[in-house]
Amino acid sequence: MNPLEILIEYWPRLLDGALMTLKLTFLGALIAGLVSPGFALIRAHATPLVQAPLRLYVSFMRGTPILAQLFLIFYGSGQFRPELEELGLWTFFRDPFNCALLAFALNSTAYQTEILRGGIMGVPQGEIEAARAIGMSRLKTLRRVVFPHAYRIAWPALGNEVILLMKASALASVVTVFDVMGRTRQVFSRTFDFSIYLWAALIYLCITAAFVLIWRRVERRLSRHIEPHGTPRAAAPTLKGSQA
Amino acid sequence: MFELLSYGDAGWGDEILRGLAITVQLAIVTLPVGLCLGFLAAFASLSRFGPLRALGFGYTTVMRGLPEILTLFVVYNGAGLLLSAVLRWWNPEAPPTDFSPFVAGVVALGMVFGAFAGEVLRGAFNSLDKGQVEAGRAIGMTDGQIFRRIQLPQLWRFALPGLGNLWINMLKDTALVSVIALDDLMRMTKVAVGVTKQPFTFYLLACLIYWTMCVLSELVLARMERRANRGIRRA
Amino acid sequence: MTQPEIILKAEDIHKSFGNLEVLKGISLKARNHDVISILGSSGSGKSTFLRCLNFLETPTSGKVTVHGEEILVRNGKPQSVRHIEAIRSRLGMVFQQFNLWTHRTVLENVMEGPVQVKRDSKAEARDKAEALLSRVGLEERMHMYPSQLSGGQQQRVAIARALAMEPDAILFDEPTSALDPELVGEVLKVMQSLAAEGRTMIVVTHEMGFAREVSSEVVFLHEGRIAEQGPPEEMFTNPKTEVFERFIANVK
Repeated sequence: MNPLEILIEYWPRLLDGALMTLKLTFLGALIAGLVSPGFALIRAHATPLVQAPLRLYVSFMRGTPILAQLFLIFYGSGQFRPELEELGLWTFFRDPFNCALLAFALNSTAYQTEILRGGIMGVPQGEIEAARAIGMSRLKTLRRVVFPHAYRIAWPALGNEVILLMKASALASVVTVFDVMGRTRQVFSRTFDFSIYLWAALIYLCITAAFVLIWRRVERRLSRHIEPHGTPRAAAPTLKGSQA
Repeated sequence: MFELLSYGDAGWGDEILRGLAITVQLAIVTLPVGLCLGFLAAFASLSRFGPLRALGFGYTTVMRGLPEILTLFVVYNGAGLLLSAVLRWWNPEAPPTDFSPFVAGVVALGMVFGAFAGEVLRGAFNSLDKGQVEAGRAIGMTDGQIFRRIQLPQLWRFALPGLGNLWINMLKDTALVSVIALDDLMRMTKVAVGVTKQPFTFYLLACLIYWTMCVLSELVLARMERRANRGIRRA
Repeated sequence: MTQPEIILKAEDIHKSFGNLEVLKGISLKARNHDVISILGSSGSGKSTFLRCLNFLETPTSGKVTVHGEEILVRNGKPQSVRHIEAIRSRLGMVFQQFNLWTHRTVLENVMEGPVQVKRDSKAEARDKAEALLSRVGLEERMHMYPSQLSGGQQQRVAIARALAMEPDAILFDEPTSALDPELVGEVLKVMQSLAAEGRTMIVVTHEMGFAREVSSEVVFLHEGRIAEQGPPEEMFTNPKTEVFERFIANVK
């Protein structure tokens, strides 16, 4: 079969796989994105003793292959099956999708925590003082000054992390999740037609490219404030003030 | 539990160590391959010749956007098919050959390493002090001399942190070759799990071994960075 | 003659960093409409003292009273932490490095305090912010970001931001020290007009001209203590201490 015929025959499977890849990536990044701000604050400000468990966690996640982390959760949970059954958690761990998602979320949390920590440390101390000086509470200072600023600093690195997560999600195919990679291997084992790999590569590249475009667009919006000095620009005078 | 990990027939210590040896070999053989590809990619993308620049850009962009496991399968299956086809053309009677998983691992991981290293090295070239190149020209050095005597020694300092990260990533990526049946640390762990039915224990052990290697690498790299930066304060 | 009411009172402020005692018991009273200039060579503790007044720096011991809200500090522990934010919202502060929030526009910087801390409505805060920005001559720039402004313009925005809180007094921490010489004037002019309309101001500064012409009282700090204090004209024409005499001679 020529490459086009392969695509015509198997595109529904590839599309199905692409949706699964997006779902794994999006949910994994989202869960990590919800947990990491709290962790990042601890990493940035807490005493060394409080930080110790978090540092160990981050070091472990960064120092071991994601594949090994995935196996540890998916196969490793089997060793505790009776206990997990008792807790009613076995149905969760039996499902490869859940295990993959858990592994990716745990992994990405570690990376996002470190990235965001860097962002928090990069917020100029003077701006925090200015907020304290007008009487903002600690919480409000975090919400209105520290985090908005930290996310602007961390944004490009967070985008890279999401792309890395998207690529790592292909590992889920090894524990029989049918993402792009899973579908591709399935088709290849049936047809032995090499071109299916090239289509898979194209899908991954398209996802990456689309993501990069969206992320940059948001980044441009976020970094309006660092336009070069002295560009007298009458910025949209309407909505911005009222949104703030 | 320690019996399981002991050496010899009863335990899995020796098998896992053999797997570890393969993993380390794979990483060490891949490093020079990846570095060479990285230099080629960096030269290509810095070249004044348009098509070469496009080639460098295409290689680094595409490779960095693909999942490593996909690259591995493309190389393993693709090269296998290619090899069989060549052999059949040579001798129609030849049996279908498999590409060696070790070589496939080196090629695939090397290509990935090379793409990222290309970007690191390109960045390092760009952060070199342009004035020093001009100073070299001013005393009549050739471009080759300037590269060897002035740029290369300083490149190291700028590229080392990035390359160090890539080494650690590559060390972890070697675990992927277990999927194409190379008997590395990960796969030997899987074999042990199959027999002992103790998946958590053994995968945790594997994780701890990888972790140790990464932490050791980080320590060595930090040392190398300190060394590489030694001259800077004096200058 | 009745004295104007006391807006801010600091009593026996001590501050140590480790073993180093930077402030060795400073007391200061600011009445309504006072403009107090605090002078001193670097290391005299003048900025630290100012930052103790709104607890950006916690004094080691002492008492600060702003408009009846009183905070007593013993052993580096303020007795009533809850009052700190109340005191801060009553004292404006203008920093040496401006400290504008770089991710918000000029207008948003000025609106932030009233909306977030004082809970004013956005419309109200916006009207007020626009008025204040035209007061400091920046109504044309209110939709720009701080990075698009010169240092002098940024500092004027910072002054508007402080005014937006309708403070009882404004603290200035070397407001012109980070500016290029040609931009100092525009900031001093704004400060002078604030003094003229009767604002209570406490200014740490190196600008002798401002201290002499504009302020109602000058405080000279030396090695963590008040070395000399009084009306500017008297102090500058007839310094009582040798350290202050040497100080003004060096500045000239």
